[in-house]
Amino acid sequence: MMTTNNKKSLRLFFIGWVLLTALFVVIGFVAPHHWMPRVMSPQEHMTVVTIILFTALAAPVAAGVYAVALHLLRHQTFRGNDVPPAAPAVRENSVLTVSWLATSVLLTVVVLVWGLGVLAADDGGATTNPLVVKVTGQQWLWSFAYEDNGKLVESNTLNLPENREVEFEVTSEDVTHGFWIPQMGIQVDANVGEITKIHTTPNQLGGFDVRCTQFCGLNHAFMVTTGDVMTRQQFNSWLAAQPSRS
Amino acid sequence: MTTTLTSPAGASLAPASTGGGLARKQNFLTGIIGGFVFGFIAWALSHHFFDNTSRSYSDLVTTFTSIGWMFGFWLGIGALNGPFAWLIGSDQTRADQLYYAGENQGKVRYWKYCTDHKVVGVQYIIMTMVLLGAGGLMAMGIRTELVAPGTHFVNQQVYNGLIAVHGMLMILALIVAVAGPWANFVLPIMCGARDMAFPRLNALSLWTLVSAAFLLLSTLAVGSLPVGWVVLAPITNQAGPGMDFFAMAIVVFSVSTTVAGVNTICTVMTMRTKGMTLSRLPIFVWGSMIAAALGLYAFPYFFLVETLQLLDRTESTSFFSAAGGGEGWLQANLFWLMGHPEVYVILIPAVAALFEIASVMSRKPVFSYRTAIGGMAGLAGLSILVWAHHMFTTGWAPTLGGPFMVTTELISIPTGVFFLVLVGTLWRGHIWMKLPTYWMFGFIANFIIAGITGIYLSDIPIDNEFHGTMFVTAHFHYVFVGSVLFGAIAALAFWYPKVTGRYLDEKLGRISFWLTFAGVQITFMAMFVSGLKGMPRRYASYSMLFEHSNFVTTVGAYTIMAGMLVLLGALITSWNKGEASGPNPWHANSLEWMVPTPPPLENFDVLPVITSDPYNYGEEKVNS
Amino acid sequence: MSRIRTLGVAAGSVLLGAALLTGVGVWLADASPHQTALKCQQVSSGVCSLNLSTFPDSLEGVHGANGGPHPDWVSYSNDNIDVPANTTVNVTIDQYDSGGSLNNAFFDRVMGTIGGTATIDGKTVSQVDPTNVGHTFTLRGIPGNGSSIFVSVPLPADGNSGTPVTIGGGSYAKPVVVQFSFKTGSKGVYEWNCEYPCGGSREGQFGEAMSTFGYMSGTLTVE
Repeated sequence: MMTTNNKKSLRLFFIGWVLLTALFVVIGFVAPHHWMPRVMSPQEHMTVVTIILFTALAAPVAAGVYAVALHLLRHQTFRGNDVPPAAPAVRENSVLTVSWLATSVLLTVVVLVWGLGVLAADDGGATTNPLVVKVTGQQWLWSFAYEDNGKLVESNTLNLPENREVEFEVTSEDVTHGFWIPQMGIQVDANVGEITKIHTTPNQLGGFDVRCTQFCGLNHAFMVTTGDVMTRQQFNSWLAAQPSRS
Repeated sequence: MTTTLTSPAGASLAPASTGGGLARKQNFLTGIIGGFVFGFIAWALSHHFFDNTSRSYSDLVTTFTSIGWMFGFWLGIGALNGPFAWLIGSDQTRADQLYYAGENQGKVRYWKYCTDHKVVGVQYIIMTMVLLGAGGLMAMGIRTELVAPGTHFVNQQVYNGLIAVHGMLMILALIVAVAGPWANFVLPIMCGARDMAFPRLNALSLWTLVSAAFLLLSTLAVGSLPVGWVVLAPITNQAGPGMDFFAMAIVVFSVSTTVAGVNTICTVMTMRTKGMTLSRLPIFVWGSMIAAALGLYAFPYFFLVETLQLLDRTESTSFFSAAGGGEGWLQANLFWLMGHPEVYVILIPAVAALFEIASVMSRKPVFSYRTAIGGMAGLAGLSILVWAHHMFTTGWAPTLGGPFMVTTELISIPTGVFFLVLVGTLWRGHIWMKLPTYWMFGFIANFIIAGITGIYLSDIPIDNEFHGTMFVTAHFHYVFVGSVLFGAIAALAFWYPKVTGRYLDEKLGRISFWLTFAGVQITFMAMFVSGLKGMPRRYASYSMLFEHSNFVTTVGAYTIMAGMLVLLGALITSWNKGEASGPNPWHANSLEWMVPTPPPLENFDVLPVITSDPYNYGEEKVNS
Repeated sequence: MSRIRTLGVAAGSVLLGAALLTGVGVWLADASPHQTALKCQQVSSGVCSLNLSTFPDSLEGVHGANGGPHPDWVSYSNDNIDVPANTTVNVTIDQYDSGGSLNNAFFDRVMGTIGGTATIDGKTVSQVDPTNVGHTFTLRGIPGNGSSIFVSVPLPADGNSGTPVTIGGGSYAKPVVVQFSFKTGSKGVYEWNCEYPCGGSREGQFGEAMSTFGYMSGTLTVE
């Protein structure tokens, strides 16, 4: 096939670029909503928004590279056993190089500023009088303890009141585990001899999962439990009915 | 590139001839025997002297047995002959050197400690295939088990052992996949040299890798390594002697890779022929040198952290155990200080090979040669500063989250440069659609996905959701399988005619390409879905929620397997029966294509003098 | 190469590879021994009973008379248990092993059983002394695979009083007998393990028997 640089092929290239960009943006919007767990906290909400934003920013870049590749495969290829003739030798194109680098830097800065902003907004630990839940990981079970009037109320499921900030103090008895609530977008390792903290505010009623994300041995795949976000009233009655120790 | 002939490079060496005899009969088999003999001696001694009621007993015995194996293998294969001869004042003569370079020995020299860089390159091709094959078998075991929820043909104990060994085997395979064969076979010729700077070290690096592979595979015989390939403390405290074999395999491997890195850099810096200035070097040489330098920085951390883990296990030190005042996070930091640069040690040679291929196959110079070097060097330099993005969720140093996010996201800039150079080279080129070109386009398609999904993970709030899930696994498989492996196969298809004088079968190669390319999308896109849905990684069994995405992933894995098997079939049948290619089938300009196929023992009858870089297609008449 | 030859090589490579893979698969499957499952004995409609033991070694139960590769490791008598769905399961565990202090006091309670209690040597309790525990029986299920189950019963340490008992070739102290009941729901696969660190390893005793399949952990299949 011979090379063609005519206007028609270039127009097709730009249309392809635009269509692919649109496709990727749509995927970036649909995929999280279709496949990710239900959003039950502001952290998870921001995570989904960030995924959509990053996909939208990356879409024209990815689409551009794919459009170029497809354009090349359509117009610039030679098949057969004869070596193609030498192509015009373009060793440098300062305009292209500088604009490419500038665009990468710009996109990186946008992604960074956004990411650091989201991080800073949530940083610094819990704010107002949170509900403290002690989370202990042990091969291969999560156990939870709520501080309530000087006593420790224990449970193997994690129930939480709606719209109250909760701070998890996470530790492990044996190896490193990963404490993760997929619906709330929070995760921190449970380390032996350390207490790590994360916080969130559940803002939807309903069930959620707690899964271990740090490989912890034989039954790592079974270290899963559930929790329920309930109204404050339901939570208080549930808490009162659990066994406690001083 | 014009070359002029000068007078032959001579070399006359020193004293009287040393004995030949037994030393010259040493080969792979004597190496194994030596390894077993000294391993047994070490085993017997440690069995006798160490208290077998102590908790560390089996670890001490395993460690010392491994050390015995390493030395015995070196002795048995003849690795120490040269240094020993030098030590006793009876250095190797030129006749000895030619012998050890495999002169006139035919095929048997591939089984021996042969210093000819071309033989070492072929041996690395075999080693890469062995490691990829073994790792691939484990991958198929993993995916077969995960075809549906629940436990099927292996229990979770065996499964957990499979995933760690799969990971380490594949990592080892990919570290050497491009650098091993091609930075050895092709690089010295590209520089206009007769061999590497240190030919004996070259053979040492390969055979030490073989020795390390034996140790790694030995873990399977002693209950394997059910702790994940990153061998985090403190769970490694629960691992049996498999962990000791693993740690020793890494210690031995670090020797191999350090030696190889030193060799590559010294060769490029000191052995270039007249006129081959740094700016006339093929870009592949630059990439190999940068990757080697990065490896020299990174792998000592691996050596260190595994040594410390061995000390914790054998001498009851507490570097990594909280009860003794140590810290698991220390192990994670040391590991990732190695672990992140390491992935660029893996990536850069593949990318550099693809730059070379893009130029030859589009009949154009490498676009923006200097930016390409800057991109690779910048990537290597930045990669030293990003390691803790693997630790965002560990709870270690939350205040450092922001800075590591910054350094990690900055890496997307040099990575973007790779696309600029590749696409810029191909743009308006006359692209020859031969087998290497297919794999190169596959790389471009897959590396976009690999790179962009890395950007998601570098953002801490997103990482809080996806860390430890199959999203991460899918991301790095797009890097390793979708990108690096495709680059390695492109390099193989490209330089195969130089090694064998025959084309790698074009039709079989294309069947393999389409199977593998489709397989990668099916497998790892479905794996992204598993991750989005919330499936953690390293799961021996999973909930019904992840049923469909896992089934599709397994179907994709079988597709990749078919593709790889067809490629293996192509490799084997083309070796002797492939279509003859001649010395320069791609009409390229770099020095390796100017020498006959197979190249003579010392590459050049007369060392060339260089007057330009090898990218002057269409700028000058090419001498081929 | 001719097209037929090309396809022949391609197909042949794939078939050879598949054969190798099958061979390796069979070898791996052999490495994962599936012990015959202990079946819950039907007592009456909707009720069945299960008898387990915990031993200070591996000489009884599923590891064979020689105790398998680790005869000195503590073990449960069975590692695969089958119980029917929607049934009340009456469990009796003969606990022959000594013990010590729980590292996580959470497990000193009886949880998830019918009535929230267990009967230990005839006495009904809902909590035990956390400093004198031999093992626990802790069973939990993966939500999304059948009904959710959580049962955890501490098994007190054997005080070595009373007439020794002979089983097989070995002599053991009179066991502590723990009885409890729980209800199963729909079909599913659940994992159970001991939560008292009774294994080996460099520290914390979470290794060896505690982290190896078939000693202090197992699978309970509800079908």
